[in-house]
Amino acid sequence: MRTTIKNGIRFGAIISVVIIFFHLTGFSVVAANMIGGLFGNVDKNTALAQLPTINLAIVISLIGLIAGGSASKNTKTDSWTNAIVSGTVAGAFSGLFVAVFVYLIGIANFLEVDLRSYLPEIGPDNIDYLLFGGKASANFLYLGLLTISGLAGAAFSKGIIRANWRKQVQADSVQSFNAFIQKPGIQKVFNNKIVVYAFLAAAAFLLYFLPTKWGPYWNFIMGTVGIYILLGLGLNIIVGLSGQLVLGYVAFFAIGAYTFGLLTAPEPHAIGMNFWLAIVFAILAAALTGVLLGLPILNLRGDYLAIVTLGFGEIIRILIKSDMLTDFTNGPSGLSDLVQPKWLGKTFNDVNYFHLTVIFVIIAIFIANRLQYSRTGRAWLAISADQTVARATGINTFKYNLLALALGAAFAGLGGALFASRNQFTGPEDHILMVSINVLCLVIVGGMGSLPGVVVGAFVLKGVPELLRDLENYRLLAFGALLVMMMVMRPEGLWPKGRPEMETLYYRKHPKDSPPDGEVQS
Amino acid sequence: MSEQKTTRDQPSLNVGKLIRWIAGILLLALIGWRVYQTAFIEGSYGPDTWMRFIIAGLIIGGMYSLIAIGYTLVYGILFMINFAHGEVMMLGAFGGYFIFELLASIKAPSVSDPNMNFLNAYPVISVLLAFIVGTVVSAVAGLLLERIAYRPLRKAPRLVPLISAIGASIFLQNAAQLLFGPQRRQYINPVILWRGTGWSIPVGDTTVLLTYTGTLSLVLSALLMIGLFLVVQKTRLGRSMRAVAENKQAAALMGIDVDDVIGKTFIISGVLAGAAGVMWGIHNGLFNHYVGFLPGIKAFTAAVLGGIGNIPGAMMGGMLLGLLESVGPAALGIDFQLKDVIAFTILILVLIFRPSGLLGEALSEEKV
Repeated sequence: MRTTIKNGIRFGAIISVVIIFFHLTGFSVVAANMIGGLFGNVDKNTALAQLPTINLAIVISLIGLIAGGSASKNTKTDSWTNAIVSGTVAGAFSGLFVAVFVYLIGIANFLEVDLRSYLPEIGPDNIDYLLFGGKASANFLYLGLLTISGLAGAAFSKGIIRANWRKQVQADSVQSFNAFIQKPGIQKVFNNKIVVYAFLAAAAFLLYFLPTKWGPYWNFIMGTVGIYILLGLGLNIIVGLSGQLVLGYVAFFAIGAYTFGLLTAPEPHAIGMNFWLAIVFAILAAALTGVLLGLPILNLRGDYLAIVTLGFGEIIRILIKSDMLTDFTNGPSGLSDLVQPKWLGKTFNDVNYFHLTVIFVIIAIFIANRLQYSRTGRAWLAISADQTVARATGINTFKYNLLALALGAAFAGLGGALFASRNQFTGPEDHILMVSINVLCLVIVGGMGSLPGVVVGAFVLKGVPELLRDLENYRLLAFGALLVMMMVMRPEGLWPKGRPEMETLYYRKHPKDSPPDGEVQS
Repeated sequence: MSEQKTTRDQPSLNVGKLIRWIAGILLLALIGWRVYQTAFIEGSYGPDTWMRFIIAGLIIGGMYSLIAIGYTLVYGILFMINFAHGEVMMLGAFGGYFIFELLASIKAPSVSDPNMNFLNAYPVISVLLAFIVGTVVSAVAGLLLERIAYRPLRKAPRLVPLISAIGASIFLQNAAQLLFGPQRRQYINPVILWRGTGWSIPVGDTTVLLTYTGTLSLVLSALLMIGLFLVVQKTRLGRSMRAVAENKQAAALMGIDVDDVIGKTFIISGVLAGAAGVMWGIHNGLFNHYVGFLPGIKAFTAAVLGGIGNIPGAMMGGMLLGLLESVGPAALGIDFQLKDVIAFTILILVLIFRPSGLLGEALSEEKV
């Protein structure tokens, strides 16, 4: 029982920190607004004073439910009492801590101490709202709400675990799905070329018609996702396949964008090159940079490579921005009025741009896929598994690493040129370190070395945040927290790559040779 | 290390090595010629200006050293780049700032001045308190960081903790922005530590100002570094830290609680970073939630420069980087905007010509 209570107190403390953090950052109010949006008791013009306090109570109770549930799940014993006690204690203690906090800010409000110059979200209005409309009994309300919801959460979670409901459902659905997939009839359908082509045709149809329907905003967002898929595919070759950590990927992106910009912008050089030719030059310039950077540094150990490339990315950005090169690069003001592609005499609009991006993405996926399964791809696989052994088996590791860097850089160059052309602008602030980090994260979140993973990762990291516009201020915060959680809970990524491909391929063709435990299946 | 040995043994690569060295010597000659040009032929700066650059470089170098030690300690034990270390420093800067603001709002009337506040009435205690709170905040942040973001990943592949660290860094930065607002804040120092006041040192016909804040930073960073050196070399904790860095399993077999030692390492590096953060605030004044980012990267550069895992190396690397960054642009006769380019170029050159850093890395054999 003592450990149970201790466990409850621990969870209570954690949850109270979370609630206080939400209060201090103003997230509680935003969440209450969103709840209001769900219920329809709030519209966009509702002032904070009119926001119904029941919404805050719902937010707090939801957090309490989660607290109780996780606390009871953590008890690891099979007794109902332990689970319930743990959840209730967690709820009560979080309520206690939050009550103390609320009491303190209430006093501050009463004494008319303005905390806003230090904690901008804690103004008098917010405090009033967080005190359920300035009630003196708010502390008890918090305590009561959290205790009850903690109890309820514990009971609920215990009930689910007892009934083995979730596991059962999961197991059943996975099994039945697998059985369904493996039925000969279904297999036949999936292997039927006509069906495959029909699927592809449907996808192509959707990709062709959707952009005309969903408007310029979504074309822009999805175009960005497409460009990030290109970048992800490139970095995936470097990090996922050949196993070198590069943190300055944005350098190649910048080189591509600026090559394109300098060749096509009216200022400062007025070369006025054709779009398609400029794209080719951008790709070549980025690939060349990759080779030139790679020649001296590719022998370095992993982390050093990471930090050197990070430095290189910063150098490129600072140089672009610097006064020294202003005559050449236009300095901090960047390049604008970049050329747009023309096709049959018609200038591209947003729909055409989206289509262009999709075509480039498809070509890039094709190339990346062929590379991965080629001799070169196998060489990369060997290098990433163990560089020394790979060298011992006769692979010229330096050559292959350099090739990976050059190819990855070429993808980034294409992405940069597309990005610059679509925005009709490129400036130093487009090429900050955050771009490299975003691309690296999408590769890792998707699953290193996995092509579908890159696509999934790009959607998750660049597409989903756009859906959550209400939470714009909290986006990066959630992104950081999610990265940590993801690394702790699912480091292999959302769509991890399968086992080394040649092995599985061999066993699929020669089922008799496959290992007895039947472990090797794609 | 084994990997690099094999490259060295291959005779075919010796030509490349030769080319590299020739290029290096040419580069050094070029730099030397350029420095000679700007310093002696053109003479664009007098000795007093050089003195100012050197003083500024040493002060910023002291802060870099303190942060770099944190990187080096963690890298030496866990072989991971603690990407969020700069953010730990940022939190320390906020801690010190809030203490200053709090103390400034407490009235301490004296006979001569009825409007005196605590900050000016007891400046030594105030500064001490600011440093204590700043370091405690940073130490707690470092410890929590280790517990939440790194400890579960002890056995994961090397990229995984790095990504986790990047995530933690983004989280901390944005949390600070949301909690305290995005605006820049300014440290209001006690009057005796006013920025821009100090001793005038005569150099040639003019004088150079050695500010009080700068002196405080420099002396304090030197003291902290000596203290750290003593802790690592003389105490039981230091011995266990060195043992864990050498070989975790053997250390565990000798009865050392490895997790505990790693936690304490994070606390120590947090203390140093927090002190650097408060110094940054007191000396430079302006700061915001973004303040830790660039010093963090620079300090990692400094740690690599001195040889990662090597504590004296990190100290020397930080000082050297600070000096080069502040003297470099003037000596090479280029724009001062490009001082970051100098820092990163030095890093790249050091890694190409001497990958183990200037003083050599001190890493165990198990993971190089």
